[in-house]
Amino acid sequence: MPASPASDPDEVEDIELVKRSQTGDMRAFDALVTRYRGRVYAMTYHLVQNETEAWDLAQEAFIKAWRAIGSFKLDASFYTWLYRISHNVTYDWLRKRRIQGDGEFDDERTDHRVAAGAEAVPTAFVAPDVAMKRAELGQRIHEAIAQLSPDHRQAIVLREVEGMSYDEIAAVMGTSIGTVMSRLFYARKKLQELLKDTYENAT
Amino acid sequence: MKTPPEDHDLIRWLDDEMTAAERTAFEARLAADPVLKAEAEEMRQISLSVRSHLPKEMPVPHPDFFNSQIQVRIEQMELEDRRASARPAAAGSIFSSLWMRLLAPVAAIAMVAVGWMTLRTSTASGSVVVSVYAPDPKVQATAVENVDAQATVLLLEGLEAMPADQNVAGLTVHHAETDSQLATTTLYDGAGQVLLVMGKDARNQPLIFSHGSPRG
Repeated sequence: MPASPASDPDEVEDIELVKRSQTGDMRAFDALVTRYRGRVYAMTYHLVQNETEAWDLAQEAFIKAWRAIGSFKLDASFYTWLYRISHNVTYDWLRKRRIQGDGEFDDERTDHRVAAGAEAVPTAFVAPDVAMKRAELGQRIHEAIAQLSPDHRQAIVLREVEGMSYDEIAAVMGTSIGTVMSRLFYARKKLQELLKDTYENAT
Repeated sequence: MKTPPEDHDLIRWLDDEMTAAERTAFEARLAADPVLKAEAEEMRQISLSVRSHLPKEMPVPHPDFFNSQIQVRIEQMELEDRRASARPAAAGSIFSSLWMRLLAPVAAIAMVAVGWMTLRTSTASGSVVVSVYAPDPKVQATAVENVDAQATVLLLEGLEAMPADQNVAGLTVHHAETDSQLATTTLYDGAGQVLLVMGKDARNQPLIFSHGSPRG
């Protein structure tokens, strides 16, 4: 969830870096890029399900942020502001893909070269069979997420990954809270359907 | 089939978006409705799995290059902005398409030598190397541009000696293709023949895989 403004030392430092960036200090902006690139990249990756596209979109988001940083009023946390820009960049990309006729069941998006389950595996030792099951489940979840429509995928990512409240999701997606709840409901129903055998086999 | 408000109740319960009174009432419903309870439990499991398998933060591939590319693109855009505001709309560019053709091979060859060196070329208003980047701190990369000579010289200090049979100088690169899966970039001449295939070795150092082999 985006941090509240000026509530911790890191955020204070953000404000300082933002102020310096607003004067044209590229090094200060580079520090912000370094600080938030992992989160922005994770968000774009979860939404587009493609490493190369996610990398490009994350870059695009930071470039847009630099171009617009003069208008940032410091009335929200930098990350919240950056997140909205990243979301808009990614959403525009997804919309264009949809218009161009790329369906939501694009095989390319589910053809992961990265072991999906490995990304969140704790560094502590786990037994090989447990690790394998976990990696398999991770792969299944990634594939299921990739099959959601862009709107449903976004709602799930904003809620489950970013931990945003319904109000925040509605603001980011530019929709009503009722629509957010519907999208979350249908996204979860779809995931339930796609992952049904996984949970049936587990019990 | 449930009505939408009931769907919303289930979702709000899962996401802890209910008031205490709403939660108590909904949990009483769950206790009285085994089907609803089973669905709620399954959705909760899925929610937990999604949270644990979709990280909030991920390592960015080639992080240094990620940052440097942002700076290069910003500098390039600002340069283009300045050029656009400095010249009348009708005036032609001082950079001709010939200039672009001359610079492209230089840029491509420099990338062979330095690996992730950062070059930025404009597609609209000319072409210029605005920044160079070498991931190996032992390698110093410098671009020297001479408008009169219509040439850019790239100095790469600190590289290991290149084998004499790798005739990089004098290549005319028509275009390049990158294979993200193999992490290689292939340079082609105007006839579509492969000039060089470059990648990185296990130490992440630039590596030329082949030279002059047929395409494909």
